[in-house]
Amino acid sequence: MLLLPAILAGWLVGVVRARSFGRPYQLPELRFLWLVFVAFLPQFAVLYLPGLRKLLPDLWTAILLTASQLILLGFAWLNRARPGMGILFAGAALNFTVMAANRGFMPISPKTAGHLNPNLDVPSGSRFGLKDILLPPEATRFEWLADRFLLPAWFPYQAAFSAGDVLIALGVFVLLAYQDVHKRNST
Amino acid sequence: MKNQLNLLVLSVSKINRQHVQAFFLMASLVMLVLGVGAPEDGGGNIR
Repeated sequence: MLLLPAILAGWLVGVVRARSFGRPYQLPELRFLWLVFVAFLPQFAVLYLPGLRKLLPDLWTAILLTASQLILLGFAWLNRARPGMGILFAGAALNFTVMAANRGFMPISPKTAGHLNPNLDVPSGSRFGLKDILLPPEATRFEWLADRFLLPAWFPYQAAFSAGDVLIALGVFVLLAYQDVHKRNST
Repeated sequence: MKNQLNLLVLSVSKINRQHVQAFFLMASLVMLVLGVGAPEDGGGNIR
């Protein structure tokens, strides 16, 4: 849920910018959109459908998650010419790297996870939430790319996120907010 | 009743190809960021 406000904010800024230029807002033109649907389908099945989520072994979930992310990376690469898509690609690549290096899931330290769930009492290596796996920092590869950042304690909504997530949020914001209005006006 | 029906037909006719394309594009962007992103929120359900 942490990334969805970036979409909303980017769209709002894009609409305001377009209005300021006296033009209707136009969404970015992206190629190979069908790739996103194809890639997201297995993720949706293994992460969001409770029945399948419990049924499928973690190994298969990790394989499907990795394959899905590879396709999404391909989509971002094919559309890298769009403003913001390069930033999004970089964030996606960072997340992919750290997940692929840690059994296919996003590592989160027990300390960070404890901030989200104070009653946490599960062994290291257990899955946590949707895509995360509990791993102590010393057992985590590319620990600096893991879910290691927390929102401020005073914030009503608590979440842990990675450096890759920050770039993904920034990339999608730029993609929606900074469409090339001048160029479109001249054509 | 007839007026309401006319209003409904008018509203539906306004949903043109561009609106459908915009919907699919926004849905794709949501799927893209959810697919490549991996933040964990306060739920912390453990499996």
